[in-house]
Amino acid sequence: MTLEGKIALVTGAGTGIGQGVAVELARRKARVAVSYNASDAGARETLRRIEEAGGEGFAVRANVADRDAIRAMVRAVADRFGGIDILVNNAALQLNFNFEHDDDAYDRIMNVNLKGYWQCIQAVVPYMKRHGRGRIINISSVHGKRPTDFDTVYAMSKGGIKMLTRESAIELAKYGITVNAIEPGAVDVGRQGTKETKPFVPPEYAEQAERMRRRNPDIRRKFPVGRSGRPADVASLVCYIASDETDFMTGAAIRLDGGSMLL
Amino acid sequence: MKLSGKTVWITDADSRSGKALLLRLAAEGAALLLGSDSGGSDIAQELAQARRAGARVRVCTVDDCRSAEVARMLDEAEQELGPVDVLIHNRNLVRPISVEHGEEEVFREVMNANAKSAFVCAKEAGRRMTARQAGGRIVFVSSIHAEKPTGMSFAYSASKGAVKMLAREASVVLGRHGIGVYSIEFGPVEGDGDLFRSDLSKLYDLYRYKVPSAVLGTYDDLAELALFLAGDGARYLNGADIRMDGGFLLHYLDFKMKLPTETGGDGG
Repeated sequence: MTLEGKIALVTGAGTGIGQGVAVELARRKARVAVSYNASDAGARETLRRIEEAGGEGFAVRANVADRDAIRAMVRAVADRFGGIDILVNNAALQLNFNFEHDDDAYDRIMNVNLKGYWQCIQAVVPYMKRHGRGRIINISSVHGKRPTDFDTVYAMSKGGIKMLTRESAIELAKYGITVNAIEPGAVDVGRQGTKETKPFVPPEYAEQAERMRRRNPDIRRKFPVGRSGRPADVASLVCYIASDETDFMTGAAIRLDGGSMLL
Repeated sequence: MKLSGKTVWITDADSRSGKALLLRLAAEGAALLLGSDSGGSDIAQELAQARRAGARVRVCTVDDCRSAEVARMLDEAEQELGPVDVLIHNRNLVRPISVEHGEEEVFREVMNANAKSAFVCAKEAGRRMTARQAGGRIVFVSSIHAEKPTGMSFAYSASKGAVKMLAREASVVLGRHGIGVYSIEFGPVEGDGDLFRSDLSKLYDLYRYKVPSAVLGTYDDLAELALFLAGDGARYLNGADIRMDGGFLLHYLDFKMKLPTETGGDGG
């Protein structure tokens, strides 16, 4: 499935899932804006991999907790590529404070994970309206449903994203914009990135899966499919939702967890 | 008297739901710590009634998004009423805000009122309950819009979606200390058709008749459920989000509504 001619913006694309998504979109011929905040080196790596895949991308730095920064980022993407067809909201914080966040930590998480998603949506809508179509894909988490037991406010933000997705879907449908969410379970992204986001970079998948199996012979009792998730798993679903084959799907949340939520 | 000897903290007692809650729980012998933005003046009548029923009542005005203020209030209240056994977080701010044109200030106001305050109150109450090791209950008064979009305030439904996860999270963390946590996804009641008026959704068109019985619930129904959750009968309930809507959300569009014949329906 090709995404030739499409223009995508992926936030949090310097690490982990966002990196995997950006590279896969580019491999399928979309032009990709790699948005990052803390992860300069990660964003450069994303671009390197995009080029390696024969794709076209550019990096743009923005703190998605800041509306002005978001607007400047979106303008930069539109100036460079001539529009935006696909927004992948992915940049998120997880502070692992469980039930003990102070008031500032609460604000910090909500401002990125929920307000940031909304404000990125708001900023791209004018460009999508102009084309009469658009795809917005919110990367949420199985923790929009299941408690984390490690970060209460992170889970709250994901519960909020579920409803942001549904509300956006009904509001933006008249412009030909669909809004859907993906709820990944545990995704192994290595150890690269900032301390706060604990993201990962996918090294050798097969090897990693094999290692995990050796370390944990019971893996199928955590993940019926026999392994944890990879950024590539999320990326291929993003590409499908971003394609022209999903006009009738909006407001949906797709659990992508190797069946782990069922156990 | 199902709640004698118990102290119950109810936030936003000035609201219609707050009034129903305070009256019902006072009648069951609870001592009440009441959050009131009006400093008690909007609930003078209800306070008098609660006191006539024998309830000890303390009224406080705090910003329940600020942990320090809430902590101070709880410390002071404890001197008078004893420690809080039950928190009923009851804050329901609805402001229209669209995804496309919404202002950040409205988003923050709605999210803080409904979700941040829920977190702050639960954290502070939970910390004290945990320290006492005597169990406890936390009830979030939430909304059917934790699941169903409003079509007029994405911030409202996002705040309720956040509260749903807060309740689940707290049930796991605090549940280890014998504390039960619930959210009540309530609605619709009289007046909600105006409150949730939407150009996008027909959810509230003839909404009374989308309740299968065609009888709307009231805040007294909410108070009855809160009373149950605060009491011993709810011992094995934890982390549950209880949809209390008379079956409203199970209707599909306007299919088979129980319309009275004079409105043009076939009576169901």
